[in-house]
Amino acid sequence: MESTLEQHLDDTMKNPAVVGVLCTDQQGHNLGCRGSLSDEHGGVVSVLAKQAAALTRDPTDNPTVCLESESGNILIRSHGTITVAVHKIAS
Amino acid sequence: MGCCYSSESENTEQDPERKRLIPNPNPVSKPPNGTDWITTSVPSARTDEQALLTSILHKTAQNIIDVSAADSVMMEQHEYMDKARQYSTKLAMSNSLSQKKALTLPSLTSQPHQVLASDLVPYSDVQQVSKIAAYAYSAISQIKVDAKEELVVQFAIP
Repeated sequence: MESTLEQHLDDTMKNPAVVGVLCTDQQGHNLGCRGSLSDEHGGVVSVLAKQAAALTRDPTDNPTVCLESESGNILIRSHGTITVAVHKIAS
Repeated sequence: MGCCYSSESENTEQDPERKRLIPNPNPVSKPPNGTDWITTSVPSARTDEQALLTSILHKTAQNIIDVSAADSVMMEQHEYMDKARQYSTKLAMSNSLSQKKALTLPSLTSQPHQVLASDLVPYSDVQQVSKIAAYAYSAISQIKVDAKEELVVQFAIP
């Protein structure tokens, strides 16, 4: 069932720079998360991706939202019906 | 004409209107030249006025909280303290709830100028996130309901 997704999230966390990963659906329901990103962030992540997509005229163009800081970035990207957020620290 | 003058000079004291005015016990309420129909209408007008005043008084009383009456139900000092404590704990509870609701993403920076002055996000990171998202989507599309047994079971009714 969801073991493939769980495995994928675990593999993502093995990347040395990644400290958190989250996968959510269009409504902000959490599909899986690891590290610094938790259940409660699903809504914010899905809404940020949705709002960014609303800024572009081309509906097929998927923007990547990046929240930058001196310690690391949170990158948010939609693909189909899901949205993924990755928290990366500066290496 | 002559009759009028003569009668006026003679009957000044016997004029029915003036005679009635003098023995009136409450002369202030009557106009000096008041006739009979006026004198009878004055009390009814007064009662109407009274009724109106009473209704206004009642309406006003309904809209007023009598603080002096409330104060008569004296509250003890410890009751005040208890209530104050009760309200403060409730306030603290609601505050903690509202803080819980406003959960934020992990704190990123307190010095935005440094972030803005730094290099752009590496394109490799954007590509990586794009790849992770694509892979996660394919992983989720693999999720299927695997029916192993009947959800509805018929009981063997003899």
